[in-house]
Amino acid sequence: MITREEIIKQTNEALQKEFEFKPEQLVPAARLRDDLGLDSLDAVDMVVVLEQKFGVTLRQGYDLRTIVTLNDLYDFIEKLAQTHTN
Amino acid sequence: MDDSTTVVITGMGAVSPYGPGVQKLWEGLSQGANCMHAVSELTELPMVNTKVAATVPDTDYSFIPRKIRRSMSRMGIYAYLAAQEALQQAGYENAPDHLGFFMGSTLNSISVWLELASYSQGAHLERIKTSDFLQIMNHSPLAAVCQALKINGPAMGGSEACATGLMNMGLGFLAIRSGLVSQALCGGTEEYHPMFSACFDIMQATSTNSNDNPSAACRPFDESRTGLVVSEGCGLVFMESKKSALARGVPILAEVLGFYSNTDTENMAFPSQKTLEACMRGALASAHISPKQVDLLNAHATGTIAGDIAETQAAQAVFGPSLKINSLKGHLGHTMGASGSLESIACVKMLADQQILPTKNLQQPDARCGRVDYVRSPRQTPLHIIMKNSFAIGGNNCSLLIRRPL
Repeated sequence: MITREEIIKQTNEALQKEFEFKPEQLVPAARLRDDLGLDSLDAVDMVVVLEQKFGVTLRQGYDLRTIVTLNDLYDFIEKLAQTHTN
Repeated sequence: MDDSTTVVITGMGAVSPYGPGVQKLWEGLSQGANCMHAVSELTELPMVNTKVAATVPDTDYSFIPRKIRRSMSRMGIYAYLAAQEALQQAGYENAPDHLGFFMGSTLNSISVWLELASYSQGAHLERIKTSDFLQIMNHSPLAAVCQALKINGPAMGGSEACATGLMNMGLGFLAIRSGLVSQALCGGTEEYHPMFSACFDIMQATSTNSNDNPSAACRPFDESRTGLVVSEGCGLVFMESKKSALARGVPILAEVLGFYSNTDTENMAFPSQKTLEACMRGALASAHISPKQVDLLNAHATGTIAGDIAETQAAQAVFGPSLKINSLKGHLGHTMGASGSLESIACVKMLADQQILPTKNLQQPDARCGRVDYVRSPRQTPLHIIMKNSFAIGGNNCSLLIRRPL
């Protein structure tokens, strides 16, 4: 099963590539909208790239209102990965 | 015609194979510099006979904010840079209220389309991102530049292949003259893909006998020409009513005197002399001037066999043998939807410098072409009025007249 560290590493890699973030911006407490500046169009594209990265379907359960920070995002993917594995 | 219906040009912006900016365009043209090169993708396709293109030098565009750039393919970026330059020259840091914007392209980004097609073929449509779609709508560059520069007047994207740039200048001219807007950005943009070369190659319209000497690949009017060289870029001009320009106290670069357009319904790909002649006469009538008042015809002349013959024969019929004529496709290649507006910018510079640029690579005019005065070396001469022609596959023709400020 994929570890949380690996989820964080791969998520950050995908976000850096897609949204041109610097590594130091991607701290767990960073808020996707307010700190990282992602808007609704970015949120859709973020789901697309993360789905490809992890080979899972995020778009049905994904809700930007409940996923505020990067840490929330890591949690969401981790939970989904566990469900996927089970 | 009063000052509110007289249309003038007060700003210009360009991205060309010579690089970004009007200055680089003018320097490259004036020096007769080479911007054509072999294209590796074409070299690998044995069935495609042309191997040469002209492209905008590779540049890192990350200085443009990501949220602006995400909706832009390369042609959108070219348009953004050209629009900024034109606005600045017209004296604006930000777009004025209710600015009109008239711009289009021949096709939208083939590169992005091919990426989308690969998702479709692989049954992976879930990989489509919003930014992909925002980049390949027919009016994507127009919309993206409006969003980026807060252009809030009417934005319309006329798309007529190789005539797109000049058609949109005509639309801008008519929009100002009609009172729809008092100011407008207008022109065309295009990005190169080897598919463009391949398509024109199938139609036997490309340069094929100078692949080992790219600089000489495009030879408008020359007896040894075989066709065009595909290119890319963007040209935008800022037009406004003379009343607006005078009220703002900005320098007037040129006056737009007249515009005309017609459609050849006999053939999609072969222009008829008769229709081209009618187009040029229509522009003269629109400007209320006689053929003798035109000092130069900056021809569409892409270097194809049939096109150059039809245009110069038509020009001779309209203007007579003393007409001075040039084409800038020998320098730039055919920038497609951008060609009419990019070359119009060069015409404004020629008016300012009182200098006619020669047709690059023209050594011996084709005896089948019209009897006119082919300019083959830089010529300093009194230059007041220039006619610019653009003709598109599909039969869409247009001619525009510009005059040096009085």
